[in-house]
Amino acid sequence: MCAHNPGTEFDLSWISNIQVNQPAVLRRAEQIQARRTVKKEWQAAWLLKAVTFIDLTTLSGDDTSSNIQRLCYKAKYPIREDLLKALNMHDKGITTAAVCVYPARVCDAVKALKAAGCNIPVASVATGFPAGQTHLKTRLEEIRLAVEDGATEIDVVINRTLVLTGQWEALYDEIRQFRKACGEAHLKTILATGELGCLTDVYKASMIAMMAGSDFIKTSTGKEAVNATFPVAIVMLRAIRDFFWETGNKVGFKPAGGIRTAKDSLAWLSLIKEELGNEWLKPELFRIGASSLLSDIERQIYHQVTGRYAAYHDLPMS
Amino acid sequence: MAATRARPQTREIFTTMEYGPVPESHACALAWLDTQDRHLGHYINGKWLKPEHRSSVPWQDPITGESLASCLQAQAEDVAVAVEAAKVAFENWSSLTGALRAQHLTRLAKMIQKHQRLLWTLESLATGRAVREIRDREVPLAQQLLQYHAGQAHTQEKALAGWEPVGVVGLILPATFSFLEMMWRICPALAMGCTVVALVPPASPTPLLLAQLAGELGSFPGILNVLSGPVSLGPVLASQPGVQKVAFCGAVEEGRSLRQTLAGGGAELALALGSESLLLLTDTADVDSAVEGIVDAAWSDRSLGGLRLLVQESVWDKTMRRLQARMRQLRAGRGLDGAVDMGARGAAAHDLAQCYVHEAQSQGAQVFQAGDVPTKNPFFPPTLISNLPPAAPCAQAEVPWPLVVASPFRIAKEALAMANGTPRGGSASVWSERLGQALELGYRLQVGTVWINAHGLSDPAVPTGGCKESGSSWHGGPDGFYEYLRPSTTPARLPYLSESLNYDTFGLAMPSTLPAGPETGPRPLPPYGLFVGGRFQAPGARSSRPIWDSYGSIHGYMAEGGAKDIRGAVEAAHQVAPGWVGQSPAARAALLWALAAALERRESTLAARLERQGVELKTAKVEVELSVGRLRAWGALQAQGHTLQAAGLQGPVLRLREPLGVLAIVCPDEWPLLAFVSLLAAALAYGNTLVMVPSGACPLPALEVCQDMATLFPAGLVNVVTGDRDHLTRCLVLHQDIQALWYFGSAQGSQFVEWASAGNLKSVWVNGGCRRAWDQEAEGAGPEFRLRAARTKALWLPMGD
Repeated sequence: MCAHNPGTEFDLSWISNIQVNQPAVLRRAEQIQARRTVKKEWQAAWLLKAVTFIDLTTLSGDDTSSNIQRLCYKAKYPIREDLLKALNMHDKGITTAAVCVYPARVCDAVKALKAAGCNIPVASVATGFPAGQTHLKTRLEEIRLAVEDGATEIDVVINRTLVLTGQWEALYDEIRQFRKACGEAHLKTILATGELGCLTDVYKASMIAMMAGSDFIKTSTGKEAVNATFPVAIVMLRAIRDFFWETGNKVGFKPAGGIRTAKDSLAWLSLIKEELGNEWLKPELFRIGASSLLSDIERQIYHQVTGRYAAYHDLPMS
Repeated sequence: MAATRARPQTREIFTTMEYGPVPESHACALAWLDTQDRHLGHYINGKWLKPEHRSSVPWQDPITGESLASCLQAQAEDVAVAVEAAKVAFENWSSLTGALRAQHLTRLAKMIQKHQRLLWTLESLATGRAVREIRDREVPLAQQLLQYHAGQAHTQEKALAGWEPVGVVGLILPATFSFLEMMWRICPALAMGCTVVALVPPASPTPLLLAQLAGELGSFPGILNVLSGPVSLGPVLASQPGVQKVAFCGAVEEGRSLRQTLAGGGAELALALGSESLLLLTDTADVDSAVEGIVDAAWSDRSLGGLRLLVQESVWDKTMRRLQARMRQLRAGRGLDGAVDMGARGAAAHDLAQCYVHEAQSQGAQVFQAGDVPTKNPFFPPTLISNLPPAAPCAQAEVPWPLVVASPFRIAKEALAMANGTPRGGSASVWSERLGQALELGYRLQVGTVWINAHGLSDPAVPTGGCKESGSSWHGGPDGFYEYLRPSTTPARLPYLSESLNYDTFGLAMPSTLPAGPETGPRPLPPYGLFVGGRFQAPGARSSRPIWDSYGSIHGYMAEGGAKDIRGAVEAAHQVAPGWVGQSPAARAALLWALAAALERRESTLAARLERQGVELKTAKVEVELSVGRLRAWGALQAQGHTLQAAGLQGPVLRLREPLGVLAIVCPDEWPLLAFVSLLAAALAYGNTLVMVPSGACPLPALEVCQDMATLFPAGLVNVVTGDRDHLTRCLVLHQDIQALWYFGSAQGSQFVEWASAGNLKSVWVNGGCRRAWDQEAEGAGPEFRLRAARTKALWLPMGD
């Protein structure tokens, strides 16, 4: 992880004149998926790259230490060793970027990763995930506990009430407090864009989250009706670029929810490349929150190497 | 180790994260060429035609230089064969019911669907444009076009009663074009029952493939015939007997010269010229989205030309920074690569762009080029030109592909003046989040299409066309199919070409007026002046000529108008235009009805004037009565546009009917009052301002009406200039600030009007020397007037938040 985003003072003028034209953004979103594609070796390389961006996630009520352990092992060995060898990529140390769990499972994950002998970071959701409708005090406490348990990245959800009622300064203050509670851990702010009114609000919320010192901004919890979509991503990426141009600080981006196929992941990579450039194509600045994506990527790699389509039992489960 | 050597790249790409080649196989295009032994002829009457002893042109891959095929060049005899086939096919095709034609078009749509890969690879190979654009947008649009027009054909008998197909349509395509240009025109033509002969430049195989697909449907082989040959064969095609309509799209100068060549030829000419577009970016715009609009307009292989960009000064820096950053992300390459934004358009397009850039640089402009573009010819990088002084010669010229010329403006009014200050009137987009501002700009821009917060959208149901020098023909929507129809009452057009007509001298001299002999009989009427700017004025020539009545005595005098009087009249008409355009249809109706009432009061005088000119009293009374009726009828017509719905677009598209501007009308000699009033009423109802030349033989009733207009109408709304018809016609048609001209006079006059209209490409309506039955509803007030009296504008209003 690169240095923290120190954030800036609250400045309403950064967002007061913002205009986002939704139909135009929708058209751009459609185009971007059709205008770039990669094939053959490029596809393999890009897919392996995508693996290194994955926050391998399980956020279920029925998570226990055994499936967390399995998840962590998969994070360490995301692609079958022989496939990587065939691509001459076995010595690149390809793992997923992090594992992402509920606060109560952080200990399990830390333990499992330690046992596997690797230093993949553990990310924990926090602050009343996914709705954020608990008291600020408990939300802050949740962050502190997760950090104590060994999480080095905290995915917080913002208080949508503050966005929908236009209380931008209050939102800034809350995220500032989250930032403080995180200490050395990285702060990834979930905007839950599916529950914000319009794309203009998505831009404004992104900018406020970055001003308040978020290291990442993340589209959604994966629990809303609408999750990571291209139009929303375009708006957030433009906000990231504007923030970078304004302050020189690079903030990361994490789409989450609904990204399931290898093809989707390629489209997301090219979206980042188009809108922000290659500098953002590294795990410090780009993550994909996903649970089932990895197995589809592994199947594609299998096909790339062997020329055959894999059966599900050909690849280890996570 | 073998495995690692076989795949050396993955590691490297993993680090660089570059894009790789995504070649689209064009094996099927080559296989298709092999079926023709790499030797393309013409496709006529359902068969390949490869006549002997013709020269042929090699077709090479513009990028690899690989020789792909040789293409025969047509000669005049081949054109005759094609037109004959189309004429024969027209007999059957036009007599089919609309429903059967619709079925046939649907079959063609399915045929295209079956061979779409061949279509898109061949088109990309031939034009060098990005295959992605052709595959994802153009081929589906081609099918939608067929479907839409099939639907129109299905309801034709009911919806378009009173209209019939014009006949054989000649289509002339320029050296660089997209096959869609052809689809936009053949679909309505075929749907309405016309048959088509298309003349395409050599080395454009896609039209031939389309013709083959249509031909292989079996039943009506001759409805679509494609010849490949030089543009110089255009006049030959146009002058073939039976060709009733010629559609041309291409460069402005080519259109101009075609307009002159085809004057008097009989076939109606529809021009769609130029390819430049305009983008207007205000300070309330979503700048990032507007930047994408610029990419759509100039660097995505969607449009054929360049872009003029107007940016509000307060967001200039913000826009330029974003635009330049975006340009760096663009990729150009071989069109058949699936991951490029733009391909290459061949050496000619490259040189044109290079030439413009050099000239702009030498005039002091700044040039910014960026993007991942191969350096070798014919690739040309996305180019942004700024600081081009407005007075530089190339600032006036059309911006070529793939250039964007940016200029700042201070306020919206200034932007409007800059945007409207070119002779072109194709398309424009307005980027503003303020609804009121966006609508005002949308309504006031003088172009055929305006997109609000979008650029380059199109749909079969939405008419696309232009005004000013972009030509006044339309494709798509209702306006598209009226291009290929004529009122059933009008006979087929015949040539009225007079070889002996001297364009340089026609109507040049104003005849001198000499004393006309003794004034015998009843005392002549006091002389009228010219009715200009709301009052009667003495003519600049300071002479008046006598009007003889049917008994041979002098009925009165009319002023001898000349060039200066026309100039004054046009100025007066322009002055009143903004106010008149802004009037509601109801206010216009009130004025027309007031004039009708005034005419009723004057009935006996008018009838007497007509009677003295040899009209039977009963007929004269009918003429006055009909004139009153026409005024009321046009007043009652609420001349309004309507809303269209485009596929995939949230929000409406408005089809506006806007006034042509200053309209000059040269009235016929027959029905001197009725024709004058009929033309005036239709033109005024649509908000035009007028300069009229009344009947030369019998101008007095018209001048009588002017007395009422002087008190009722705003000054300058209608100006009436009397005098020598040929001379006045010459002055009018050569006036660059008259937007349209209707001419009802001699055959020679019609030919001259067509020839001279090439100057500002004003839209003209000529009678070719044929009389009209003005007393008949169909000919004196039919739907044709409604089409001619206004021009369409499509205003796209996407919605969403």
